[in-house]
Amino acid sequence: MALYLYLQFPALQPDSLGCAAAQQLPVAVVNEQHYIVQLNTVAEQRGIALNMALGTAAALCHNLQLLPYQAQLQLSILQSVAQQLYQVTADIALDPPDGLYIRLCNMLQLYQGLAGYWQALSQVLTLLPYRYYYASGTTPFAAKCLARRQLNLLTGEPDALTKELNHSPLSFTELDADTRQQLQRLGIDTLGQLLGLSQGELARRFDSTLLSYLGRLRGSFYHALHYIQPEHSFSRYVELLYDIIDTAVLSTPLHVLLLQLEQQLQQINAACHQLQLSLLFRGMPAQQLSIGSAQGEYRAANWLKLCQLQLDKLKLTEPVSGLQVEVTAFVPQQNQSDDLFQPVQGTVSALQLVSLLQARLGYHAVSGLTLQNQHLPEHASQRPLPLLAGKTAVTALALRPAFLLVTPQRLTEAVEISQGPERLCPDGWALEAQRDYFIGRNNKGQWLWLYRTAQQQWFVQGIFS
Amino acid sequence: MSALLEQLARRQLVWQGNNQHAAYQPVASGYAELDQQLAGGFPATGLIDIQTDTGIGELRLLLPYLQQQQSAGRLLVLISPLAEPCADMLCAAGIVLSQVVIIAPKTSKDALWAAEQCLQSGSCASVLLWQAPLKLAQARRLQLAAEQGAASLILLRRPQEGLSLPVNLSIKLQAHRQGVLLSVQKRKGGWPAAPFLVDMQNRWPGLCFSADQHWQARRKAS
Repeated sequence: MALYLYLQFPALQPDSLGCAAAQQLPVAVVNEQHYIVQLNTVAEQRGIALNMALGTAAALCHNLQLLPYQAQLQLSILQSVAQQLYQVTADIALDPPDGLYIRLCNMLQLYQGLAGYWQALSQVLTLLPYRYYYASGTTPFAAKCLARRQLNLLTGEPDALTKELNHSPLSFTELDADTRQQLQRLGIDTLGQLLGLSQGELARRFDSTLLSYLGRLRGSFYHALHYIQPEHSFSRYVELLYDIIDTAVLSTPLHVLLLQLEQQLQQINAACHQLQLSLLFRGMPAQQLSIGSAQGEYRAANWLKLCQLQLDKLKLTEPVSGLQVEVTAFVPQQNQSDDLFQPVQGTVSALQLVSLLQARLGYHAVSGLTLQNQHLPEHASQRPLPLLAGKTAVTALALRPAFLLVTPQRLTEAVEISQGPERLCPDGWALEAQRDYFIGRNNKGQWLWLYRTAQQQWFVQGIFS
Repeated sequence: MSALLEQLARRQLVWQGNNQHAAYQPVASGYAELDQQLAGGFPATGLIDIQTDTGIGELRLLLPYLQQQQSAGRLLVLISPLAEPCADMLCAAGIVLSQVVIIAPKTSKDALWAAEQCLQSGSCASVLLWQAPLKLAQARRLQLAAEQGAASLILLRRPQEGLSLPVNLSIKLQAHRQGVLLSVQKRKGGWPAAPFLVDMQNRWPGLCFSADQHWQARRKAS
């Protein structure tokens, strides 16, 4: 027997305001027609109800906090919930704006029955901040109808389900208002009465939508559901309840987002190298920050540290109204294997250290050093990204200075030559550009690397240290 | 022993001559006369203060030490070096270039922050820091970070008068034709020493004047 579960989330938008202050205040979501469509528990206690007009609600509660209804946000929250639930159950289909279909008949064997299954699922659901109603049913529409009645009924008994379904008023079905009114005029108020009628009779009086709905409700018609696939990316947005100008304060809502990222990464045993943090403003285009970790990181605490270093550098000209964290690519986690006999001195690896330095000092302030197979001194040393192994075959030239001046400077003092000359020519053996190199010591005792051009001019190019 | 003395000893404000233990783990510097004066070599961890002019051989003095420090696979970090470091010289001294990290911070505050992060991390063996003005509290903080990460921080700065910093070793270098003239100003668990010559003629014959060259030069001058 097929068995489906429907989860309905009555207040996704208010519940997603993570901070504790938001939970103390009455919050309601208003649609474009100025009707209340979602509200949190505090608002409910103040006597505000769904579908109440905005004026009435404001009169009832003076400090009511209002949010505009955002279909896109609602959908993205629903998707994130589905992704979280995917860890324990396989077949999940979205039912925008606020519901999830879950096929549970094929999961029961794994969890050894409904009780075990529900225990696993409710554990995940309690971790999420969203309120929910649920019900099971033999078809997706049956489960949805029972869940909308907020029955919180979970059973595999077909008789009990059919009995409840027969008692359901028509207002909880998918039928449109016109059809419902027509049926009410015929004296049909519950689904039981409707299901009792013969299909031929109904087909003559009503259009095909009613028949197709009833067919899918009974299970005689096939109901196609688009089950979600696990995504290997992460995108979360949080709307701040009040605008924040201080970057230090931003770390609290950011930490909540990063914890969600950690949870998702941990569950699939992955890490990520790059994270996009967007700061959204009211009057300005969003500011993008790209934060990298060379080692690949999943822990929220480490990501927060890297983010904070970048945020510290930032000067905000306008308060931030929203935060978004995006990760586009995941990589498998790699375990660092430490030496068993050599005690580990610190908890930070070389790659983590480099990421940390880059986050605060800038990407180009940290570099490595490689030796190229070049005879000209200014080409022999290059500064690539740190911790990259260069060519090992290159042999170093014996006597070269420790530091090279970026631009050679004219020699202005007396020096005592100790070695030389060593003639170097640039590419193509351009004789006019040839240089004769000498090692000399000036009066202060500094060892300099000098060259004489073909025009008999003397320059200092390096310092032996 | 009086109660007062015992209390002071417990707070490590006084110590007795007979419980001499090494204040730090020495690493051979590669120069015999220096090892002898420093009772084994440079400290493996903690702060090393070197007061020197640039370009007189201060890095040559340190290269064998840095090479040994780095050989365990940990990093060598150069913070705000004077000019572009040259790969040839480091490579010729046996330093693994893939374990060298060069940091060019914009301010001295950032330089100190970077030094502290590197020292604390435990993944760096030695950090070289050029010309950063250092206060007493900052030096203490860096010393603690260095001990935590078992790393050494080498401060290279111009000769200057001022408060003595809490370092493991403080030396002063002066230019000399055959190497450098080194005087130990402060050493943890030891005494300051009179200036002596670190002879580099064997290791760096190209960067020294031998004694007879000196005479030739003199004769030319006269």
